[in-house]
Amino acid sequence: MIHRFGVEGDLTAPSEERLAVGDPRMVDFLAKLARKLLAPAVARRHPELGSLGYFLRPAELKRSVERMTARQDALVFPRGNVFHLPPANVDTIFVYSWAISALAGNHNVVRISSRSAGAAEVILEALNETEADPVIARTQRMVTYGHDDAVTAALSRWCDLRVIWGGDTAVDTIRRQPLRPSARDLTFPDRTSWAVLSVPGWRAADPAARRAAVVGFANDAYWFDQAACSSPRTVFLVGGGGDTGGVRAEFLDLLLGVVDQRGWTVDPAMAVEKRVNAYGLAATGAATALDFPDNRITAVTLAGTDRAPRRWIGAGAFPFAEVDSLIDLVPAMNRQDQTVSHFGFTPAELRAFAVELGGRGVDRIVPFGSALTFGAIWDGYDLPAEFTRLTTLQP
Amino acid sequence: MSVFTLSQTDREKTLLPELVDLVDHHRRNCVPYDRILSASGFAGASDISELPWLPVRLFKTLELKSIPDDEVFKVLTSSGTTGEVSRIYLDKAAAATQTRQLGATLQTVLGPRRLPMLVVDTKSILKDRRSFSARGAGVLGMSTFGRDHCWALDAEGVVDLDGIRAFLAKHGDEPFLIFGFTYLVWLHLYEVALSHGLDLGNGILIHSGGWKKLVDQAVSPAEFRSRLAGVGITRVHNFYGMVEQIGTIFLEGPDGGSLYCPDFADVVVRDPETWAELPPGEPGLIEVVSTLPTSYPGHVLLTEDLGVVHGVDDGDWPGKRFSVLGRLPRAEARGCSDTYRSAA
Repeated sequence: MIHRFGVEGDLTAPSEERLAVGDPRMVDFLAKLARKLLAPAVARRHPELGSLGYFLRPAELKRSVERMTARQDALVFPRGNVFHLPPANVDTIFVYSWAISALAGNHNVVRISSRSAGAAEVILEALNETEADPVIARTQRMVTYGHDDAVTAALSRWCDLRVIWGGDTAVDTIRRQPLRPSARDLTFPDRTSWAVLSVPGWRAADPAARRAAVVGFANDAYWFDQAACSSPRTVFLVGGGGDTGGVRAEFLDLLLGVVDQRGWTVDPAMAVEKRVNAYGLAATGAATALDFPDNRITAVTLAGTDRAPRRWIGAGAFPFAEVDSLIDLVPAMNRQDQTVSHFGFTPAELRAFAVELGGRGVDRIVPFGSALTFGAIWDGYDLPAEFTRLTTLQP
Repeated sequence: MSVFTLSQTDREKTLLPELVDLVDHHRRNCVPYDRILSASGFAGASDISELPWLPVRLFKTLELKSIPDDEVFKVLTSSGTTGEVSRIYLDKAAAATQTRQLGATLQTVLGPRRLPMLVVDTKSILKDRRSFSARGAGVLGMSTFGRDHCWALDAEGVVDLDGIRAFLAKHGDEPFLIFGFTYLVWLHLYEVALSHGLDLGNGILIHSGGWKKLVDQAVSPAEFRSRLAGVGITRVHNFYGMVEQIGTIFLEGPDGGSLYCPDFADVVVRDPETWAELPPGEPGLIEVVSTLPTSYPGHVLLTEDLGVVHGVDDGDWPGKRFSVLGRLPRAEARGCSDTYRSAA
């Protein structure tokens, strides 16, 4: 086992350290960490750390603490010991999950994947360089270990809350390790995310607005190779009345322009992967047309909204389907669906869509460019509430 | 008799109409294939490089066959490193054709008669049917082209020196066939022959299986060849082939250094950015083309192997000559769904 942050030693030993919800020592530490992550040199190399730094800046932390402690009907305390199992490849998730829990005053153990690289390493470096009250290192630990069931088992018995990211297989695998009777899991299973584009809204937008929308969409799609749970995959063209070809072509042209400008590439192996998946969609009749204008963009015309793939089909792979209205899209959505990022709709249209969905699917409806922006409400959970416990007091 | 006779011009003239017919045949008989071609807007080909290719991995994710279920005579499977399995469907005719053409290809270098055969492997790879591997299938497929088989390795994978000596005593002064996977030949046969002074001078070595393990030990194909010549094995033929195009192997010529296409096959090396055909000398992804696959649409396959065409009609045999350079690394996505996906 490699200790990446915090004092070394037995992770499950009883601790006398106490942190409060919104403990000033923790707020101070997180604010200093944010400054490091927002440093221009870091943000240039890892733009995704910029949004993390923003999430951790003092004003945001203060708001989070206020929300955690706002209620009048109960006293709010840390949940206790929290064991986090973040995904290997979305480098920043572990910080969000951990930071909210740390802000709530919990003792945390975070398992960092041995495959973590890039931004994750930068974050760990920043964590270790950030000046901290000794209580931080004694209560917050980050470790890397292999698929050692004994360690996972011990930490599972130690914790009051186990946070499992990484999809269905991860959840099922880790759930084989029993928790204490009083503990529970917070799970983040496989999700699918979509984009919806209003054809009338697009036509009404001026060229700058269209381009800005595509820049946002490109970030959403390409930052994590379209494989993050919030990355948009299928694009639904809404309200085009059967005439969407021009809008789609312009959207793809602009998209390729942005990809060009950013210098993003898709390697040959990924290009082959996309062919395999796109051909698979065609072979089963789910796709009626395939376009491979460039390795970086694969465009797929779906036979219908119900044929939109829910599994990852590669970086820069965009199925398209047409639908008359957002309401008509509702039957195609289900519990697995997480984020719908939108462009060109009125607030009333979006609200009607959300109400019609009725919580049966889709946890986030956000504008293009915000799909990957992490929030304290995630996958339908109010995370600060999950990371705290309540004591009622009747004098 | 040789199946390495057609110049590139004659080859294209002969193969193109047959391949165009095969495209039509598979479109009529394999609905998923027809859908793929329709969706990608395929209209026609006036050149072998314009024929629509399928990524070879598609046979791992889709059931692709151009024969009715009740005519399936044999289903070949290959296990990849990721645990996915290709399924290749043969009817009686296709099964017979692939055996015949593989035989014809090998006879070019082995001669018309079956030769005594030294297998550089262990018999135990054939025993456990559940773990029956591509290696086992390869050995089994090749063993029909030899007789009086001697297994060079015992059940534990240790060299059976007495067995090899007995084989050589009986067959060593006439031509015999040596078959094995490249790295096993290197590790077991070459080193043992060297240290024990075995006389393998009448052996004709047929080997395959990739160079990765040898390249890791800094043994290049050229060095492999020259070191084997040092222990008397001068007739050496590497080959390249895959279960998805069963019966077609690309065979190294007598002078080494290049693989050649049998008369019913061709290769196209593609630029992995533009997917256009690359000229000789420029490395890219290898597409293998063969007229043998009639029962499944495997006649034009894009492999995940990198290769380069060295020349056309300028080597031991006519047609294109090429080398395999290595494998395209598997695409790996970042993403949320991977906490427990093992590193490949």
